[in-house]
Amino acid sequence: MSAKVWVVGSGKGGVGKTFVSSSVGITLSKLNQSVLLVDFDLSGANLHTTLGLQLTDRNLRNFFDGSHKLVDLVQPTNIPRLSYIQGFWDDWSLSDISLDQIRRFAESCRTTEYDIVIIDLGAGSGWGNMELFKLADERLLVVDPEPTSIEKSYRYLEAFICHSLRENASAESFLKIQNALREYRNKNQKGLFSFRDYLHNATGFSFDHFEQLSKQPIRLIVNSTRSRPDLELGFAIKSVCNKYFDIPVDFVGSIDFDNAVWQSIRGKEPVLIAKPFTPVASQFLTICRHLLSSSRNSNFSANQLKAVV
Amino acid sequence: MDVNSKYNYYEILEVSPQSHQTEVNQAYERMKVTYGGDNPAIYTIFSEEEARNMLNLIEEAFSVLGNKSLRTDYDEKMSFNSKPDGMAPISVGRPIASMTDKIKKGPLFKPEFKMNAIFEAEIKERTDWDGEQIKKVREYKNWTLESLAETTKISGYYIQGIEKLEPGSLPAPVFVRGYVSQICRVLSLDEKKVCDSFMKYYKKALERK
Repeated sequence: MSAKVWVVGSGKGGVGKTFVSSSVGITLSKLNQSVLLVDFDLSGANLHTTLGLQLTDRNLRNFFDGSHKLVDLVQPTNIPRLSYIQGFWDDWSLSDISLDQIRRFAESCRTTEYDIVIIDLGAGSGWGNMELFKLADERLLVVDPEPTSIEKSYRYLEAFICHSLRENASAESFLKIQNALREYRNKNQKGLFSFRDYLHNATGFSFDHFEQLSKQPIRLIVNSTRSRPDLELGFAIKSVCNKYFDIPVDFVGSIDFDNAVWQSIRGKEPVLIAKPFTPVASQFLTICRHLLSSSRNSNFSANQLKAVV
Repeated sequence: MDVNSKYNYYEILEVSPQSHQTEVNQAYERMKVTYGGDNPAIYTIFSEEEARNMLNLIEEAFSVLGNKSLRTDYDEKMSFNSKPDGMAPISVGRPIASMTDKIKKGPLFKPEFKMNAIFEAEIKERTDWDGEQIKKVREYKNWTLESLAETTKISGYYIQGIEKLEPGSLPAPVFVRGYVSQICRVLSLDEKKVCDSFMKYYKKALERK
């Protein structure tokens, strides 16, 4: 049995990607899943901090420089059924890693013995992030209620669609869609724009792939919500994605802004461990149950989803 | 989203035809919040004008789906099955007469026509369908405007509008697509192929207008 690869991405930095990754990881482990968290944030890995762990000299770099196998880099955490691979932040950047390496990395994640491998991506739509986002079994997109974050999430989705289409389109037609997008942004085009309709009418695209992509909704998590309108925001974003990109988005839930979260980050202890009864913990529990039961090919029955505390 | 797409009222409100009325109402409230005010979620995606257009569509959709009897009529016209799990909805505006109507009508009317192998093959092969082509098939299969109108419950005026590609005499594009797909079903045409192609022509006609 191969592991399911879940990725956590966001358009903007600082919206709580790493917090969501670690909390989803911890919650899944409470739901009796064996979980491997991988820190792929090359702009500044800090998953170890949210997990309250000390740095070691074994990190993901050892995989990409070819000196170690991925499984050799796995380190235990204090939490049962939860392991992690430390990220790195030295002079390498995403562009030093080839597409081939990214694919091998995803493949290595999939062939581990864990139930679920969660990859915490860096912010932004670099093609390395996009490729992992594309290859994953589950795609979690984290957004916070700031307009800047929402805006960047849309750019992220655009980049993701373009990235997925690029290898399935001729160079010429890819240029066409880029132009169409630009035109649309300049509002030269009348009426509403839909990616899928556009592709339907354009030639030179392999549409099947896009259809395939559409079958797996992108899971939207709105982090640090503070007010009633914030709670409704997920539905609004979902609708906009539906109408504009024509790709399905599943709004899986909001995570309240919670003082306990930053307190525990300062205390370098995961909030779900330090304060297991905060509302945030139950919000993650609801989200993870939903994800497990609606995840494709899942073989989880309802009573397996009882939390083990 | 444009004319070319197959959005119907349910798709505009992003609910399924089987949705309970409360879900429809809730979806409408959410849509109004999304496209109605100064929602951060539409910023950089939809312009003010587009949001207004969207809101108009949403209001139009809800003016039908929010009303039980209009919704039932719409479902019938678009051939949706809105009954969840075979349960009959509590119908308010529909008189019992409509049920007896159906019984009286008996088996569906289907005119006789002489098979023409060459034309049949041409229908199968054809990928571009404008109103003229649909009309040819209708006449080949011996449907008159009146009989087709009677069977599909689409007014003959609209069918003519479709055949002549006259947006001026037709309602909103979401309906037109529904009509065409219904005509396809009666004429045994490939619904998706014909609708997709027809709506392209229709879109052009709309732009000319």
